[in-house]
Amino acid sequence: MNYLEIQNLEIAFPTPKGRYVAVTDINLTIGKGEIISIIGHSGCGKSTIMNAVGGMVRPTRGEITINGKPVKGPGPDRGIVFQHYSLLPWMSVYQNIFQAVDSVLSDKSKVEKKEIAEKYITMVGLAKHRDKLPSQISGGMKQRTAIARAFAINPDILLLDEPFGALDALTKGTMHLELLKLWNLDNRNKTIIMVTHDIEEAIFLSDRIVVMTDGPAATIREIEDVHLARPRHKKEIAHEPEYHQIRERLLELLMGKYSIADLKESA
Amino acid sequence: MKTQLELTAPLIQEEVIVHTPAKKVSAEPTPTLGQKLRPLLNSLQSFGYTLLGLGLMIGFWAWVSKITDNSLPGPVATWEVFKELVKDPFYDYGPNDKGIGLQLWSSLVRVFIGFGLGSLIAIPIGLLMGGNAFCRKVFYPIVQILRPVSPLAWFPIGLAVFANAGTATVFIIFITSLWPTLINTAFGVASIPDDHKHVAKAFGFSTWRYLTRILIPFSLPHIITGLRLSIGVAWLVIVAGEMLSGGMGIGFFVWDSWNALSLEKVISAILIIGFVGLFLDRLFTLIEKKVSYGK
Repeated sequence: MNYLEIQNLEIAFPTPKGRYVAVTDINLTIGKGEIISIIGHSGCGKSTIMNAVGGMVRPTRGEITINGKPVKGPGPDRGIVFQHYSLLPWMSVYQNIFQAVDSVLSDKSKVEKKEIAEKYITMVGLAKHRDKLPSQISGGMKQRTAIARAFAINPDILLLDEPFGALDALTKGTMHLELLKLWNLDNRNKTIIMVTHDIEEAIFLSDRIVVMTDGPAATIREIEDVHLARPRHKKEIAHEPEYHQIRERLLELLMGKYSIADLKESA
Repeated sequence: MKTQLELTAPLIQEEVIVHTPAKKVSAEPTPTLGQKLRPLLNSLQSFGYTLLGLGLMIGFWAWVSKITDNSLPGPVATWEVFKELVKDPFYDYGPNDKGIGLQLWSSLVRVFIGFGLGSLIAIPIGLLMGGNAFCRKVFYPIVQILRPVSPLAWFPIGLAVFANAGTATVFIIFITSLWPTLINTAFGVASIPDDHKHVAKAFGFSTWRYLTRILIPFSLPHIITGLRLSIGVAWLVIVAGEMLSGGMGIGFFVWDSWNALSLEKVISAILIIGFVGLFLDRLFTLIEKKVSYGK
């Protein structure tokens, strides 16, 4: 169960105005194959935690371990989908995926690597657009390219930093299903950690939802378990009492206030 | 890194061109006849403006020529001489009497040798300066001191080192070509977005893969812009350089025509220099368009 462990994590950055503590006292244990959402207001250090797990940022205190081994830097066991997709604009959809595969799976033959890239392009439904540049495809397609790139290197852990933030509601819904489809295809073995602003998205996808306090020096405020049975159906879970309970609780934690009238009272 | 470069180098701004290539639209509706004719009409229109401008210039020139009692030769007289010049541009009657085509060619060869050598030095140093803070701190003051110096000031040094006026001319073109390329290359590399660097980190790109798949593709448009500016300045400087060095070249031709009191030839040469300069600029603009990518 204790697959990924975050212990007493603190991350601080030096700034011209002094030391800025982004997150502190983060303790979280994640099991293999779990889907975890981190939710909170802007600037609560969600991305910082992701970057730390990804190995892009070094903790200033505490430790992150995967299978008991401390994280020392980025590695092929973790696939990252960045907030802004981060596709290389001068490369086609295919090349963006192939370059990652070619770099990470260097022990495989060229033919095998090409097959892998093709397989994941087809999986996210971009076979027809494989030779287009990122500038020639829509936001949803860029997103799918980024997801295919992260999946193609076959990582044990997927780190998704607000992956669906820039998408319209319809595309978002489709992408949720595609993500779960890919997760299912791999026998639900991949651990997924996702940063989001979206409460419905978090409930629909996650096994657990980590709610952060506001930054600076943000920490975990509460962890909500989601027991809704899988496979989940978007329309059906909306009728489940548990869905509403969690939604209410999350709204309360994140919003506190529900109407303009509340704001006036407190002011 | 980017901000630091900008802070220490306000002069860079004027020479840096930001690349925002036009977005390509993938699916276009079939154009109507009017839409098909639109580009043709547009180019006809801009051709019309060009003709108007040229007409105004020639008119003004004729007027000045008239009021100065032809001490400035008029367009018609110049045209007669120009026709003579281009009738047999490649004749060679010894060292002091060569056709204008040969003179022009010799200048172009000098420019391309000097420019080529300059670029070979400037691009690698620019890459180093852009990618490495240590190199930037070491080289940048040197660039700042040497860049504002007129390349002609280097001519005596070239003469002393090479003991040959022709080689010294190539040397000043070499010096001229260094700065815009170097500065633009450094700027290009220094402005690689963190997003791209994160991709390289996250997917474990080797140094070679980072260079060939991220650094070079990103910086290439900036490098070509630098090259375009370099060759523009080199073409400016060659005329002045050859006036000093003598012997051969379009600059020498201008000076020689002045000594022979033929302003018609001088004006003809000015026009030719202008057109060649325009052609060189267009050539590099074309390459720039080729290497810029969609964003």
